[in-house]
This record gives sequence, structure tokens and C-alpha cells, in this order.
Amino acid sequence: MSVAIKATFWVVSFGTLGYALFKLVKPNDELLKQFDEGSKFTDARRVSHQTVDVLKEAAKPDSDLKRLSRRDAQRLEKLQKAHKAREEVDASNENEDYFSGSFKIKSEYIEDLLMQVPTLELNVLPSHFDSIKREVNELQKYVVTSSFFLKEFNMRKYLGIVQNLQTKCYELEERYVPRKKFGFSKKKIPKSHTEKQGSLDENDSARKTDNKWDEKLFGFDSQKDKVLVLENDDLFQRDVALRNLTNCTVGLKGVMGTLHLTNLENCVVLSGPVTSSVFMEKCINCKIVTACQQLRMHSSSNCDIYLHVTSKGIVEDCTAICTAPYNLYYEDLEKHFNMSGLDRNSNNWDRLDDFNWLAPDIPSPNWSVLNAELRNKSWDEWWSRIPS
Amino acid sequence: MGFLTILKKLRQKEKEMRILMLGLDNAGKTTILKRFNGEPIDTISPTLGFNIKTLEHRGYKLNIWDVGGQKSLRSYWKNYFESTDGVAWVVDSADARRLWDCARELHSLLREERLAGATLLVLANKSDLPGALTLQEIREALDLDSIKTHHWRIVRCSAVTGENLLEGMDWMLDDIASRIFTLD
Ligand SMILES: Nc1nc2c(ncn2[C@@H]2O[C@H](COP(=O)(O)OP(=O)(O)O)[C@@H](O)[C@H]2O)c(=O)[nH]1
Ligand SMILES: [Mg+2]
Repeated sequence: MSVAIKATFWVVSFGTLGYALFKLVKPNDELLKQFDEGSKFTDARRVSHQTVDVLKEAAKPDSDLKRLSRRDAQRLEKLQKAHKAREEVDASNENEDYFSGSFKIKSEYIEDLLMQVPTLELNVLPSHFDSIKREVNELQKYVVTSSFFLKEFNMRKYLGIVQNLQTKCYELEERYVPRKKFGFSKKKIPKSHTEKQGSLDENDSARKTDNKWDEKLFGFDSQKDKVLVLENDDLFQRDVALRNLTNCTVGLKGVMGTLHLTNLENCVVLSGPVTSSVFMEKCINCKIVTACQQLRMHSSSNCDIYLHVTSKGIVEDCTAICTAPYNLYYEDLEKHFNMSGLDRNSNNWDRLDDFNWLAPDIPSPNWSVLNAELRNKSWDEWWSRIPS
Repeated sequence: MGFLTILKKLRQKEKEMRILMLGLDNAGKTTILKRFNGEPIDTISPTLGFNIKTLEHRGYKLNIWDVGGQKSLRSYWKNYFESTDGVAWVVDSADARRLWDCARELHSLLREERLAGATLLVLANKSDLPGALTLQEIREALDLDSIKTHHWRIVRCSAVTGENLLEGMDWMLDDIASRIFTLD
């Protein structure tokens, strides 16, 4: 057979194969067109060019490749669909103005859906709520995927709005559609603890005094009108807990790993440097002098914190908290600072974040900087004195 | 670009896993995530909202979500459950005080339908601290042996020293991979 005939044969058969393959993945072509036409999305374009490359390669007479590439074309289609769904946060739209505009449209749309609820028939309500939830969820995803260009404060604001929508949705659903409630808030108690702990108020960790792991706790518990002191030899890098103390002064002259303060009333705590975090819960009328990497304060009120914090402090469900710079002195303090690894020169004592305060421009009403005249200048006499 | 390279790329794109880091606040979730990502860990603030990190590891694309413990956002947790492949439950091994809370939260989490099938890795973190509980103690306190609904494993680790972090993660990835990526 002549070379010419051979060549024609191959050309014809390759051509047919290629054509059949292009036919097979037709739905993809539609998608590709959509992407190429007027699409600024270079990613999508790259993907579509890759597809074309794949298809070109696949047109060669190797059946494995054909099979693989067909499957990959299908996968690609899936990818492109997902890509399309992400369009709105794609490059050209990655700015806050665009974001806030489309956020507004979407949240108002959800508001509308919520308003329709009272006018709808009972039998369509479940699906109506389903679609509201889907919308809310999508809106939330939108905020989250935009987190890399949103300012932290604004991000929280948008999330706050989403959360309001979600709450409204659940409230309305509860009112208009009687149904079983979502399970996550129902607390399940692990079996081995049920008998022992079942009757205690689950939120009141301070009352769980028969906790099996109590013997592992290190610190002071259930004391009144006392001066309590621990030195570095005992404290060094440990997890220290003070709890259920009333009218006590506690001196912690050393380096701790973590410091937990739970349920303290009218107490003064003088603490050396804490390598990681100070964790406060349910403290009332206290003066806390401490240095740490993180401060986490929950459900406390009327406390003055003389603080050195190298990263950030947060408050949640707190009121009337005042902060001042750390001003403790004892003989080995400098040495202890060095051992703790805390940076003496980095102190964010006057920049707490309030988990309950989402407004970006107005400072939280729950904490403030303590007036300079009102600050205690020296704690020396306090090492041996009980609060009055 | 050669055909095989393209295929490989495409497939890698799909080897995506979604991992949730959960646990009580202060357990070290953010620190572990940053450590894993090779970022400095001494300037970490308590997490407002959440951190999302996408990292490449062993050819997988990991989408890791680190959710803050803030109460006002807790009702959101459930929104992340959809299509989660694995949960890394981080425990502060030195915090005996809150182990009971920790156990309760973990078990109520595992009852979530939307997490059915997800792999569970319990990271007993802060093992570098003196006074950290042993692996056995934590396993017992969290009643892990009663878990029959999920593949689980507990690993003693430290975000500060980096000890065992990779080992734990690798186990989780392997477990997830054997479940969701069928072999070609
Ligand atoms: N010693 C020690 N401290 C840790 C470890 N992991 C985290 N920490 C500290 O624990 C505190 C809380 O960590 P963070 O990651 O913010 O906790 P999250 O609330 O779970 O995100 C920080 O002060 C960390 O430095 C660890 O493995 N060892
Ligand atoms: Mg965090």
C-alpha cells in the first residue's frame, strides 16, 4: 500500500475519533463558551484552555487516554460549575464596595422572604423556610469567603447581620411551623459522668467541685479573708487555678503557664508573668495585676485589670471592666519576665476586643481605660493585706 | 504542558479536604494551625470569628477552618459541618478543670448528623507543659472508647514544640483519603 493511502487512512480515522470525542463532551463546550465570552476570569480561561489541550491530546489513538480524558472532562465540568458559583467573589469583585452592595441586595432579599412568612399557607412553609436557610447560608459563605479583603470589624458586622437573619428565621419558623428543634444545643453528658454530675447546673463550672480531675488542679479553692502566696518553685510553667475565693489577696511570685481565675469576689490578684493565657470567668469587684500573652475574660464585672498583654485581650459578656498598664514590682520580676519569654516591650493593655460588640466605629461600652488618677500606684503593701 | 502533567494537576485540584478545628477556647487551635502553616506562633490573639487556611500537604489541598470559641458565634458551628471530611478536636491537656466541659461538647458534636462519617482526630495539645495529663487520662475523661460512629484516634502533641502534629494530621489525611478518593 502506498504511503499516501496509509496517511489518508490515519487522518480520516483520527479525525473521526476526535470529532466523536468532541461530541461526547458537548455540555462542556457550552460551559466553555460561557466562560470565554466576555469573561474576565483568567482562571476560568486557563481551565478552559487546559480542557482544549486535554481534548486535543485525547484525540490521539490511545484508548486509555481517551477514557481518562473523558472522565477528566466531566470532572472539569463540575469544577467549572463550582467556579461559576464563586464568580461573585472573583478578582474584579474583590473589593469592599462591591461586596457591601451585593451583600445589601442579598440580605434585603432574605428580609423579603422572611416578611412573606405570615402570608403563606402552612403547607408551603417548610420549603419556604428551607430556601431561606439556604439563602442565609449562602450569604454567610459569601462573607466568609470574602474574609481576605474585608476588614475584621466589618467582617464581624456582616456576620452580625447574617446572624440576625438566621435568628429571625428560626424564631419565625418556631412560631409558624411547629417542629422538632435542632440538636446541637441539647447537651449530651458522656456516660461515665452522668451519675456523678447529672444534677449539677451544666453552665456552672465553678460548682463542679466533685470533678474527678480535681486532684490535678493546682492553686487555691474555696477560701475567704486570706492572704495566699505561691513562689516560683511551685508555680513554674504550671496551669494554675484560683477559684471560689472571697475577699482574698493572692500573690503569685513566679512564672506560670496558664492562669485560671474563676468565681472570685472582691479579691486582689498579684501575678508574675504568664507564658500563655490568663483565663477569667465570673469575677466581680476584683483587682487583677497580671502579664500574659493572651487575656480571655468572660462573664465578669467591676474589675480593674493592670495588664501587660503581648498579643490581645478579649472580653465576652463583661461589664464595667477597666484596664491600666501592668505596674507590679517584686524582686525577681525582671528575671521571671525573661524566663516567661514574654516581650516586655509589646503591651496592648489598652486594646481589648469585645466579643459582644460588633459596631465598627463606636468603642465598646463594656470596658474602658482606667483614669490615671484612679490607678493604684504601688502594690507593695498589698502582698500582706486582705481587701476591705 | 504535557498531558500527564495536566491530568495530575486536575486531579490534585480535586484532592481537596475540608477539615474543621474545634475544641474549647484556649485549647490551642489557632496555634496549631499557624504552626502547621509555618507562621510565627507567639503573637496569636484570641480568635475573633474564624481563620481559614488553605494549605498543600502531601499532594492534598487542605481547607482548614479554625472556628473561634466566642459564644455569639457558636450557633454558626453547625454551618461548617456540611461537607466536612475531618474534625481535629483540640484539647488543652493541662486544663483538667475544663475536661468535663470538653467531653460534653465533644459528644454533643459527634451526634451531629451532618458530621456523620467524618474522621475524628483528638489532639491532646500542650503536652510540653508540666502537669499535662497523660494520653490515657484524657482518653478516659473524654470517654473516647464509647465512640463507635466515627473513625477516631488520639495523639499527644504540642503546638509549641511541634511534637506529633504531623503524625496526627497524616493519620487523619490517610483515613479521609481512603474513604473519599476512590483509586483510579
Ligand atoms: N505550652 C503550650 N502552650 C500552647 C500550646 N498551644 C497553644 N498554647 C498557648 O495556649 C494559648 C491559647 O492558644 P490559641 O491557639 O489562641 O487557642 P484557641 O482558642 O484554641 O485558638 C496561647 O497562649 C498559646 O500560646 C502548646 O502546645 N503548648
Ligand atoms: Mg483561636
